[in-house]
Amino acid sequence: MLKLQVRDQLMMRNKIKQILWLLCCLPVLTGCIGEDDYANDPRGNFEQLWKIIDEQYCFLDTKGIDWDAVHDEYSKLIIPSMSNDDLFDILSQMLYILKDGHVNLSSASRISYYDAWYQGYPWNYREDILYNYYLGSTNSDYRTSAGLKYKIFDNNIGYIRYESFSAGVGDGNLDEVLYYLQICNGLIIDVRDNGGGNLTNSSRIAARFTDKQALTGYIQHKTGPGHNDFSEMEPIYLEPSNSIRWQKKVVILTNRRCYSATNDFVNIMRSLNNDNEDKRIIQLGDQTGGGSGLPFSSELPNGWSIRFSASPHFDKYGKSLEDGIKPDVYVNMDKILEEGIEQGDIESQKKDPLIEKAFEILSE
Amino acid sequence: MKKKLIYLGLTGCILFALSTRLQAQTDSLQAHRYVTRATMYGVGFTNVFDTYLSPQEYKGIDFRVSRELIRMTKLFDGNISVQNFFQANISYTHNRADNNNTFSGLVNWNYGLHYQFRLTENFKLLAGGLIDVNGGFVYNLRNTNNPASARAYVNLDASGMAIWHLKIKQYPMVLRYQINLPVMGVMFSPHYGQSYYEIFSLGNSSGVIKFTSLHNQPSLRQMLSVDLPIGYTKMRFSYLADLQQSNVNNIKTHTYSHAFMVGFVKDLYRIRNKKGTALPSSVRAY
Repeated sequence: MLKLQVRDQLMMRNKIKQILWLLCCLPVLTGCIGEDDYANDPRGNFEQLWKIIDEQYCFLDTKGIDWDAVHDEYSKLIIPSMSNDDLFDILSQMLYILKDGHVNLSSASRISYYDAWYQGYPWNYREDILYNYYLGSTNSDYRTSAGLKYKIFDNNIGYIRYESFSAGVGDGNLDEVLYYLQICNGLIIDVRDNGGGNLTNSSRIAARFTDKQALTGYIQHKTGPGHNDFSEMEPIYLEPSNSIRWQKKVVILTNRRCYSATNDFVNIMRSLNNDNEDKRIIQLGDQTGGGSGLPFSSELPNGWSIRFSASPHFDKYGKSLEDGIKPDVYVNMDKILEEGIEQGDIESQKKDPLIEKAFEILSE
Repeated sequence: MKKKLIYLGLTGCILFALSTRLQAQTDSLQAHRYVTRATMYGVGFTNVFDTYLSPQEYKGIDFRVSRELIRMTKLFDGNISVQNFFQANISYTHNRADNNNTFSGLVNWNYGLHYQFRLTENFKLLAGGLIDVNGGFVYNLRNTNNPASARAYVNLDASGMAIWHLKIKQYPMVLRYQINLPVMGVMFSPHYGQSYYEIFSLGNSSGVIKFTSLHNQPSLRQMLSVDLPIGYTKMRFSYLADLQQSNVNNIKTHTYSHAFMVGFVKDLYRIRNKKGTALPSSVRAY
């Protein structure tokens, strides 16, 4: 009997040892989770950057870019002894192929920036004309609430200038601004030169211009490193604000420098028009710059930061917004001002043709 | 197939351990009222990695506090002990080029039961299971729309422990080794390129809670501690290896922390006071 007990105890001890060994060894079987470790040298930094874009950038196939061919082409230019400046130049040139204003390589001394989406096009915005002949002085002529500058012109048209979607705008600010402008016959929202910012500001402002829930577009995200690993297109709905809402006509002034969150705002506002009715919200000026990919950040072994488009947005018809949104009414400010000079019309140089055209539309 | 065998083997072993009574505890009448409580503070090294934020590892310092309660229960003739272990850590880490930093933190609570195999008077092995709840964050100070990564996961852990009461030249001490291994659970993770804006502002949260097991979350917590009586107190010195890993929704993460901790151990006796009546005024301090 005693022998049996001793044997049972020995067997039990062995089993317990086995359990503990199993617990200790299981993680070893599955191994460590990590990524390829690239060296902090020109080759390693190049390969890491190429891989980040290859796996995470969302427009490679949409833009028809053969990224493998880009690797072959630029890999030859990477030499071990090259300086940081030379490496930065080569990597920046490689990134310009993406033609994307949301793609930036940043070191402590430099930032690469693709800007062909607005360079070479009419600027369509003159700050001196705006402030000298329309807005006037902030002491006496126009009001400022958070990031919004606003005014009622003599013709009873309301005007809001929003320079950056990074500037915070709260519901309390919007209540005050719209309450002040309520007597106006129409409203101009001037987002020219607004390079974007926070998407929640975009939808918070747009929610003041609809009375019902509205489909404003779609969003996708990457689900894996493959070029075509995308989620379904998920609809984006705008809920109307439960506070003061604007019911009358609106003209949005845009130029090529309207980018990212501003592009999103213009898309949301335009999507509030009903397809079978006259447009209540009109985009005037030039095409927006685009930038429909929500940017993410990553980094290289040498600590340089890389920003890139990661999650594409589409309009309510499923069409890409990456190349910008064309206006309902096109106005070329530069050309009109030049013609005025040629004709010797001094007064024409004191007028913003986009605002004047907006007055026309809102007075109809 | 290999993994299936491992799961089956592990589950079987734990069930076997829990259902087998090696020997009855002789004096379990009030044993469940004795509580050993340890409060510890530590510092260590950590390596934080999260491909949602960066493909680079961030390394730096880790500060940690923990509080552990362990006592016997009446279950299985008083052979089951209950462990309640809470720890929280905060880390400040730097990338390889040392031009960017992250802050990260994790709160971890383990609660579970162990069957105690008393092999000798001074040595015992414990085997059991724990609920392992974790919540925290990694915040990258430079990123734009992906500045932070949330950590939220709950696991069922297999747990083993060895406790050895020994004396070196008449100086008593207690050595303890514990290992906790998450076997299965659920974890929150955004999709590969999905922003938190899309999840929380637009409400597209489908697929952000995923089942985890050894294949996609091979993690481990190990602790080695020694209790030393110093004067009228009992101090505990421990080394904690907190190795958390995951590969969920194509996002790879790991946090490897090695912390050295020190604290005090108290042996307490719980008084039954279900009605909440006050203690006699002559003894109460509050």
